[in-house]
Amino acid sequence: MSKELIDAVVDMREEDAVKIAENLLNSGADPLSLLDDCREALGIIGSRFAAGECFVPELILAGEMLRQVGALVKPKLEGKSGDTQQKKLGKIVFGTVEGDIHDIAKDIVEFMLEVNGFEVIDLGVDVLAAKFVEAVKAHKPQVVGLSGFLTLAYDPMKNTVQALKDAGLRDSVKIMIGGGQMDDQVAAYAKADAYGKDAMAAVTLSKGWVGAK
Amino acid sequence: MKIIGEKINGTRKRVQQAIVERDAKFIRDLALSQAEAGADWLDANAGTAPQREADDLIWLVENIQAVTETPICLDSANPAALETAIKVVKKTPMINSISAEPHRLNGVLPLVAQYKTPAVALAMDEKGIPKTKDDRINVIRRLLGETRKLGVADNQLYFDPLAMTIATGQDNGLTFFETIRAIRTEFPEVHITCGLSNISFGMPARAHINRVFLTLSMAAGLDSAICDPMDYEIRTTMLATELLLNQDKHCLKYTKAFRAGAFSRPQPAASKA
Repeated sequence: MSKELIDAVVDMREEDAVKIAENLLNSGADPLSLLDDCREALGIIGSRFAAGECFVPELILAGEMLRQVGALVKPKLEGKSGDTQQKKLGKIVFGTVEGDIHDIAKDIVEFMLEVNGFEVIDLGVDVLAAKFVEAVKAHKPQVVGLSGFLTLAYDPMKNTVQALKDAGLRDSVKIMIGGGQMDDQVAAYAKADAYGKDAMAAVTLSKGWVGAK
Repeated sequence: MKIIGEKINGTRKRVQQAIVERDAKFIRDLALSQAEAGADWLDANAGTAPQREADDLIWLVENIQAVTETPICLDSANPAALETAIKVVKKTPMINSISAEPHRLNGVLPLVAQYKTPAVALAMDEKGIPKTKDDRINVIRRLLGETRKLGVADNQLYFDPLAMTIATGQDNGLTFFETIRAIRTEFPEVHITCGLSNISFGMPARAHINRVFLTLSMAAGLDSAICDPMDYEIRTTMLATELLLNQDKHCLKYTKAFRAGAFSRPQPAASKA
């Protein structure tokens, strides 16, 4: 573990973080440990965000640093034997429903889910019900997350849940909803399994569903 | 500056509760206080499910009209709800909003043309909000092609170039100002409006960002805003910016506002035991 790398990421020193990662790799450090360091740093940033001490642009920069370190590490992992991927807690298909183009809250929730060990398949915004169905078929996730900011999103959420049911996939996934105008009543209306009020709630729900602590 | 008072919006939790519980006093207070603060229109957005939206919108309109003559800005994407509400408003309303999305072009624009109402026009189409200034101007050109075809005068339209959050794209402010300038140059007759708070979403100390955003947008050519007319920062910034841009003849608006106490900071509300 490199405290130096963790600190650089947490302190938002992008160039330092990349340089430190390069030096570590050149001096023969285990590439996987670099990814663990980044994950640890992103965990700290995530809790600071939840506490209102760190903000959206910093989450984005943190994600960017993780991407850059990941790009440095990747060639070193190729050819290595065994399982180079950290074991994921589970898969989550996520998107903002049809008719709604809000992405910020969705991106934050996805970030927190990834930091907490989930593999997230992001379908983007204004996602048709059929696209959710397709993605669930293709990726076989345990959880589906429907995001929507507007009241206009109520019916598309309901339709998406129904479409999964019609495709015979409803029982294979847990469905959570979230966003500006959502609440428990909307979750009941849409026949989703739960409403999550923020990113941490989404993490807690998903961990519960996949049986992780 | 023309102000569209934004507070009667059912997507705000407290307003939603008032609508569902038919708390007329709450809505009337919001209408009156915004009207007294100088709103030119009062936005009315029920924000409820489509099957009850028309009833809720009419209830809002009736309660607003019970306390003020300030015209109403009917805010909905639902043509049926809009048309029902247009029939109960006493003064020509504004409609919020049209865009180049097919369901708004086909559903809402005909109402704007038929009832000759002013309208907010969003610079977006079915593909979403264009990233660049040029793509947004293209959408606006296309939208103006449609409005002109139906005989809607350019000066009835309040284009919203759509401010995206700075937190997720640091060039979003510049794109916005450039879009305003481009609209001003190419379509001098249209009005330009926008919301003032989306820009700072995800950032701390948002009021500062919103205030300077207002000033820079007005300098670029913004002549309307969808905002809280009672907000001290917004009101004072608007007055000072109008003055500096030669939009306040003999500085009368500014000096009158001063005498009316607009520049004394509101006291924090006394805590109620």
